Amino acid sequence: MKLMHFIGGATFAATMALGGLAPLAAKDGGTLVMLVQPEPPSLASYLSTSGPIGLVAPKIYEGLLDYDNDLQAIPSLAESWDVSEDGKTVTFNLQKGVKWHDGEDFTSEDVQFTVMELLSKIHPRGPNSFREVESIDTPDDHTAVFNLKNPAPYMMRALSGYESPMVPKHLLEGKDYRSADLVNNPVGTGPFTFVEWKKGQYIRLDKNENYWQEGLPKLDRIVGRFIPDASTRTAAMENGEVHYGAYGAIPNIDVVRLREMDSIGVTTDGYAMINPVSLIEFNTTKPPFDNPKVRQAISMVLDRQFLIDNIWFGYGNPATSALSSSFAATGLYAEGLPNYPGKPNLDAAKKLLDEAGLKADGDGERASITLDLIPYGEDWRRAGEYMKQALGDVGIDIELRYEDVPTWLKRIYADYDFSMNVNYFYQLPDPVLGVHRHYGTDQIRQGTHFVNSSRYSNEDLDALLAKGAQEPDAKKRSEYYAEIQNILANDLPVANLFEMKFLTVFNSKLKDHDTSGLGAYGSFNKAYFEE
Amino acid sequence: MVQFWRLFRRNRSAVLGLVILGLVILMAATAHLIFPDDPFRLAGRSMSPPGENGFLLGSDSLGRDVAAGIAHGAKTSLLIGLMATLVAVGLGTLMGGLAGYYGGLIDDILMRVTEMFQTIPSFVFAILLVAIMKPSIESIVIAIAVVSWPAVARLVRGEFLSLRGREFVQACHTLGMSDARIILREILPNCLSPIIVIGSLMVATAILIESGLAFLGLGDPNIMSWGFQIGAGRTLLRSAWWVCTFPGIAILITVLAINLVGEGLNDALNPRLRERT
Repeated sequence: MKLMHFIGGATFAATMALGGLAPLAAKDGGTLVMLVQPEPPSLASYLSTSGPIGLVAPKIYEGLLDYDNDLQAIPSLAESWDVSEDGKTVTFNLQKGVKWHDGEDFTSEDVQFTVMELLSKIHPRGPNSFREVESIDTPDDHTAVFNLKNPAPYMMRALSGYESPMVPKHLLEGKDYRSADLVNNPVGTGPFTFVEWKKGQYIRLDKNENYWQEGLPKLDRIVGRFIPDASTRTAAMENGEVHYGAYGAIPNIDVVRLREMDSIGVTTDGYAMINPVSLIEFNTTKPPFDNPKVRQAISMVLDRQFLIDNIWFGYGNPATSALSSSFAATGLYAEGLPNYPGKPNLDAAKKLLDEAGLKADGDGERASITLDLIPYGEDWRRAGEYMKQALGDVGIDIELRYEDVPTWLKRIYADYDFSMNVNYFYQLPDPVLGVHRHYGTDQIRQGTHFVNSSRYSNEDLDALLAKGAQEPDAKKRSEYYAEIQNILANDLPVANLFEMKFLTVFNSKLKDHDTSGLGAYGSFNKAYFEE
Repeated sequence: MVQFWRLFRRNRSAVLGLVILGLVILMAATAHLIFPDDPFRLAGRSMSPPGENGFLLGSDSLGRDVAAGIAHGAKTSLLIGLMATLVAVGLGTLMGGLAGYYGGLIDDILMRVTEMFQTIPSFVFAILLVAIMKPSIESIVIAIAVVSWPAVARLVRGEFLSLRGREFVQACHTLGMSDARIILREILPNCLSPIIVIGSLMVATAILIESGLAFLGLGDPNIMSWGFQIGAGRTLLRSAWWVCTFPGIAILITVLAINLVGEGLNDALNPRLRERT
């Protein structure tokens, strides 16, 4: 395998297959080949949340915490932590004997530097996650004390190696963070060390022999391969050339076929931290959607299960609230809300439209509306075509509009020149991180993507959102969120469609790749091959 | 006219093409009678194979009737083909006619412009235009016309160049006829045959370009067309072959028929070929 540096594409694939197969008999060792799609722009997960970076970087960088499949925090670089009574002081006791891949010691100085200088300043979501952090004290090398302005329980869900990677202060301090050598040559504390990146082909990570967790990692090597063509990816998975593909690397239509094979496993686990939900954004400032009854009527007409079954091949759950049902694990999800029918209710919808003054004319037509669609592929077009039919049944004539990504983003988030827009959002592991941005008055940020484009503004709701964000008591917090969801189900500035399920396809010899709630964005430190 | 039909009839395959084309036009004209419902209508069980659940040619992933889509799509395809060709021929004739008749500086300028358009690969250019204008039936017609007119312009220029020096044109000049009258009444009728032939073939190309655009997702999302059906069905090729196969056959047959007719027109209208036989 030392020849690796000198050989190119085809030979590489063959060697990979051998390297992958030979050690299969052993429980430890082996090379995992995973699909990374598309090729990442860099490996600086402290600068960008781009998807492919998330597949590679968390194997190299670790966070203070990790999360299990129930989204409960488990120790990572912090061996224990303590939140003070008033929620304003969070103390992390760090693991001892952790070293960076270059041999330097990992200390609380690194934590302070990473959070204060990088994450809360230049990370895309960090400024929100760490917005209450005033300062971080470092009484000794193994203790980091976060001083908060207000309680921030959601922050405790944003400390994974994917969301908030700890990076080495000694390699970044005094340098330009965006162009430092570390951007493409990551040095972390994680189970795998970065070895090489052959542009257009693969990224290679080798086992960290000095990893602080005894006996881990089990794999010898992880190779992330870039294969731009979807059917080639499917074929590579089918013949065992690659072992792992997540985030739609293998299209659903092919998964339906592959899942029948014994050598291939399929799971929807590992996306709970991402929590994607598809939805319709209504322009609440313009008729007819300035009237909540019209928004309710739309929600009553749509057969969410039909979309899931016929377009997404059964992978998804109908939405029943502004929050995804995965928040049930943290007690924030509310059930039995109005305007999210299990089956479409056309009579109720027609009645609502009548009440809103949208009466049917001679041809049975009530209104003519343009529906914008997220330009992320064929599935969304099919969804639009279905909605056009379904809404036509209650007299709403729909014209579909499908544009290129920049034009669409500008139309929805800068010009607000739309009536209703089909989209999907990551709700992330806490509503503060992923859900508040739809609804808060402070989230009407013209020009910023994926925020409150409905321009919905409700003082009562704003107050509840603020309370929900700061409430440390779980029971009180869930009461706030129950009320929030009730308001949103009635006002419906955004009608959620369904909770999306991304698919991870893997070789069934690969085990324990799914021990983290982060799934493909996890560290893979326990993954191994079985004979 | 009788003479023309006698010549056209001699080409058997052209007659066959004409019959097929007639059937396609008939299908387009009666689509709303045979399939009165909107072709986007979710008519029943999704992905039914041909012949099952009342679907003659099967249904697609949303349960839309493939046969209804083909019938209604014929209207779109023919309409776009015809409209785009008319625009392209009109523009091409104007540019080519002016360049060929006046020659000199005008010819140079117009031909450089034409060449500029010809150097850009036509399908890529069409994609670009539709993407910029946002997909709608108008923008597709414009895009196809814009990439198609240079060929007409070159052809018409050539015809005008060879005709403008002839005795009958010189006679017109001596009689003091205006340029416009000479162009429209004297020269243009004499080069009509090749224009008709190139126009008929262009309809076929236009249908193919429209299908290609729709296949790539750049069709008008509110109008049923064959390319749209193929684009919507291509991901299902391994599990529901009928969704894109039948519209594909429809395109194949129609384009073939138009080409055969074009060939026949060429045989019948081209004086050089006429003398040979």
